Amino acid sequence: MKNWRYIVYAVVIVLAISLPFYTGAYHQHVATTILMFLTLALSWDMLIRAGQLSFGIAGFFGVGGYAAAITYLNWDISPFLSIALGGLAAFVIALVLGFAVLRLRGMYFAITTLALAEIFRVIVRNWSSLTGGPEGMVLPSTIFGGDSAQIYWLLLAIAIATIIVSEVFQRTRIHFALTSIRNNETVAKASGVDIFKYLVLAFAITSAIQGIVGGAYAQIYGFVSPEGSFHLDFTLLPLAMALLGGMYSTPGPVVGGLVLGIVAEYLKLQIPYGHLLVYGVIIVVVILFMPKGIVGTIRERLQRR
Amino acid sequence: MQLLSKLKQRNYQIAIACIIVAVILAIWKPSVLIYGSQRAGLYASIAIPMALILGVVGIINLAHGQFMMLGAYLAYWISVSTGADPLVAMVPVFLAMFVVGMLTYRGCIKYVLKAPELNQLLLTFGLAMILEQLANLLWTSQPVKAHVGYASASASIGSFTFGTFDFVNVAMAIAILIALLLFLKRTRTGQAALAVGQNPRGAKLVGINIDRTYLLIFSISIAIVGALGALFLTRHSIFPLVGGTYTLKSFCLVAMAGIGNLTGVLWCSLGLGLAEAFIMSFKGYGGWADMVFFALIIIVIIVRSYQRRVI
Repeated sequence: MKNWRYIVYAVVIVLAISLPFYTGAYHQHVATTILMFLTLALSWDMLIRAGQLSFGIAGFFGVGGYAAAITYLNWDISPFLSIALGGLAAFVIALVLGFAVLRLRGMYFAITTLALAEIFRVIVRNWSSLTGGPEGMVLPSTIFGGDSAQIYWLLLAIAIATIIVSEVFQRTRIHFALTSIRNNETVAKASGVDIFKYLVLAFAITSAIQGIVGGAYAQIYGFVSPEGSFHLDFTLLPLAMALLGGMYSTPGPVVGGLVLGIVAEYLKLQIPYGHLLVYGVIIVVVILFMPKGIVGTIRERLQRR
Repeated sequence: MQLLSKLKQRNYQIAIACIIVAVILAIWKPSVLIYGSQRAGLYASIAIPMALILGVVGIINLAHGQFMMLGAYLAYWISVSTGADPLVAMVPVFLAMFVVGMLTYRGCIKYVLKAPELNQLLLTFGLAMILEQLANLLWTSQPVKAHVGYASASASIGSFTFGTFDFVNVAMAIAILIALLLFLKRTRTGQAALAVGQNPRGAKLVGINIDRTYLLIFSISIAIVGALGALFLTRHSIFPLVGGTYTLKSFCLVAMAGIGNLTGVLWCSLGLGLAEAFIMSFKGYGGWADMVFFALIIIVIIVRSYQRRVI
């Protein structure tokens, strides 16, 4: 009976890949946005599994976006390479900063990541010769000429790659190292787990994912700006999605991202100026009443039977 | 001997460093000293209530600056609808924000006191988003400003003219600090709050009502920071996102001073206010002033984590 699970996966993947064949540009665009935030949510969750709460998603997202835009404008390279370079930039920055920042725990780490995101924004806004200053930069062309189906496939590929990375994290020894940090760091150290190495690795990889998504965002919209690329939404939405779906697993953020993404699109049409309020309410309500999220709660119910 | 042992204390070290810097600045760039201390007053008065919540309730309130923003909007609303001066509106805002603080504590903070720290951080972050978006819905994102004549009062020394009204911030910071210290050291309720902050279980054993203490301290802090919003309104234009930076900066100061150290917050604010004003005094580098704060917070936190004082 274990095989039915793979059949479900196969059906979902086929449905996801073939989505552009039976939907219009609007739905493809919505699906692209959902995939983008879903990937960010998953990358955030990969770090929280180690007990490290990051508020710096928008920071690395913006760094990736700017790196992609700057390399694309200055070096005349293909957009795909520039997106990869965006990820690389976020990876390198996270790796270097990680050695200092990852010694911190709990609220100190959380606030420091929030401060880092602000620092990136201040640097970008003031380093006008490289980044275009407060006005940002406009790319001469968007990726695929703005074709929504191909953009959707690009994001789908990034999302699936992230899901695979997340599953690798869950199924290999990295999982035990990271979870032991969250549960009891002293025991982990005493058992000879090199915590720091795994933490830096997790931080750099998750930041690279955020950078790649940021680079893709810059290429899709052909535009980067200090306020737009480092917008707090890119921290807030993934956080709410991962929380709603359930932290500490791959399915959680994916389910949360899909549910909240669809609900958000509906709400955006209903209340154009206040739909972000719902994200705040969701975070508070989930923390208070359903700390395990949708997936965690369902799993608990199933096990109880 | 006593002087020497006092010198080893953190507060005195910071204080002496601040005074030395202040004297140098007074000779070299007097404007930096004036604007820096004015900024420091604002930062300190916002950060001190946060330090109080962290010290007693043990929660880091990431919605702190947003509560100030809410207070500022309330003051604006009162002054527009009744024609009252924003400073007069401080009293009703204080009372209203006290109730808001009570509701927040009773409604959600209470339930995460024993939860993992991650949940506490996420909850207050969610609260911050709710407050910002609520303000956005109610008052739109358009900046608003109260126009009061006395706020532009100025004085001059020689050819150098500067605003004098902002010194109210400094007075306010010192007043809040003294009032809170007197409350914590001299009154019975305050002493109970200190005891709860040091050891909740021990305080419970000797018969202190912890829940009521938490409620009181949280509400008072929110009320103070809300009332400061009214003062903030006299000099700055307000918009829904105005509180975010103050949350960050307050945390920065609290972390620098060390948990539970209210006086230290004042000195750290002075140091940071001066540093910011110093950067801003160079033409064309004003935009980098924000960076000073964030760079300092990271350096301080990391240095302290190596000394193992943090956590």
